[in-house]
Amino acid sequence: MTTALASTPSLAISEDLRRGETARLRWRTGFDRWMGWILPLLFLVAILPILDLVYYIGAKALPTMSWTVLTSTGDYQIHDALGVPIESTFLFVLSATLISVALGLFGGVATAEFLSERVASWIRMSANLLAGMPSVIVGYFGYFALCIYFGWGLSFIAGVFTLSFFMTPYIFRTADLAFSSIPRPIREAAYGSGARPTQYILRIGTPIAFPQILTGVFLAMAIGVGETAPIVLTVEPGLLVPNSLFAPATYMTALIWTGFNQPPSVALTVAFQAAFLIIVVVIVLNVAVRFVAAQYRKRLEGLYQ
Amino acid sequence: MIAAPSPAFDGPVLSTRNLSVLAKGKPILDNVNLDFGPKSLTAVIGPSGCGKTTFIRSLNRMVELTPGLSVRGSILYLGQNIYDRSVNPVLVRRRIGMVFQRPTVFPMSVFENAAFGLRLVHEDEDTIDREVTEALRRAGLWEEVKDDLNRPALSLSGGQQQRLCIARALAVQPRVLLLDEPTSALDPMATQRVEATMQRLKEDFVLILVTHNVGQAARVSDRVAFLHTGKLIEVGKTGEILERPREPLTEQFITGRFT
Repeated sequence: MTTALASTPSLAISEDLRRGETARLRWRTGFDRWMGWILPLLFLVAILPILDLVYYIGAKALPTMSWTVLTSTGDYQIHDALGVPIESTFLFVLSATLISVALGLFGGVATAEFLSERVASWIRMSANLLAGMPSVIVGYFGYFALCIYFGWGLSFIAGVFTLSFFMTPYIFRTADLAFSSIPRPIREAAYGSGARPTQYILRIGTPIAFPQILTGVFLAMAIGVGETAPIVLTVEPGLLVPNSLFAPATYMTALIWTGFNQPPSVALTVAFQAAFLIIVVVIVLNVAVRFVAAQYRKRLEGLYQ
Repeated sequence: MIAAPSPAFDGPVLSTRNLSVLAKGKPILDNVNLDFGPKSLTAVIGPSGCGKTTFIRSLNRMVELTPGLSVRGSILYLGQNIYDRSVNPVLVRRRIGMVFQRPTVFPMSVFENAAFGLRLVHEDEDTIDREVTEALRRAGLWEEVKDDLNRPALSLSGGQQQRLCIARALAVQPRVLLLDEPTSALDPMATQRVEATMQRLKEDFVLILVTHNVGQAARVSDRVAFLHTGKLIEVGKTGEILERPREPLTEQFITGRFT
């Protein structure tokens, strides 16, 4: 054995595994080892502001929070009663989600399945443009188009539609992506079995795309809950839950918008409470979406071989 | 409108007439004329890129799902041109079924996979039950899945999935079954079972098999067509073509001098 090794001296690399270590190799190994510590530290630095934000708002909001604050439907300008804003926000987001899902889903499916590549790429570009549009511009568009041109005035319905302009591109993008990323063989197998396009979309495409679309809807809701400009520019502040489409209404972010720079007062307390609630809702939506999507994805294991 | 075929139609079930498929003006298939009679299994062989997959995909208008391809010539199914403007491709695909290179089961139960084509045409439950059982038997999968038809199809092995795909295609009782390299993703044991299934099926259906595997063509087919650079080089009885090819290109291919 030893002779066999000794008889191959042409090998430049040392056979002694402890001697072959060069300074360069040592430096690289050390670098790798330190990076294992530095990267998590940098990550901490990156999320510290977020943690600080949550802590700051939590510290201001939690001491004043109680079940009565969340449920009492009194006047939120006189004492901290979030019942009306919570219910209004819920109505806003639910209605805007319904509109956005209808528009975004149909648009996404049409773009992924029916339109030519050229038209589809234009539509995708416009959707990306709309998704990247600053919310204040969408808000002013809603104001001029809906409140003034359509004559809806500063009303609940104008806010719902403006909010849905903002949410639609997100749902559109996930629906488009979800349908485009269905494996081609699956699509062809459905058509090869004699499916009409609508049958393919309803029976094969939708079940496969569902977790992704659901993710998009939840994230769009999370974005919608946190939007301010589309609402404050198109809805007249109201003290009651809107009882008609053209009623004035309030929104959680609108409370922050009006209360954040007030001297210590009910408005400031309410602003912090609203901010805290929004953060909680956004976190819950983000966690829920992971959980729900994972449940559905289990059924699809093995599909993307 | 074209006349419906008479019940006593006795010509070939499927035949291509001057079939060419062009991609950006360049022919992938060049003037192919082939007839497929009843109760036959024709293997289409040829080197990679010879157009055999395009050929089989043109037989039930699946080529139309690939953008940029245009079809010239005609394909007659019981005498009717399936590329005629008045013919709906959906109906073509219900009569001419297809099985793909990789198993393409849908994320649903074994039963629902096999019943997929029948549900599309809104058959009643009794018919669906009967046809699914029959199709699973014919595909040689029944014994393995009969105890639990509700298990997810994605939990089956690759070979079982492929036989399920065959069953799914058979359940709508097509006349023609197209098989596009159905065993290329399977191990030898699974391949053997799918081949046995194919041999049984040729008694009742017109089978057209695309394969790059000359051995498979020899084992299961009774007729071989050899394609090269989009042209049909020769066609004939399996034994004759594989043992005494007339064309030098065919001989080179089956003796493995090019792949």
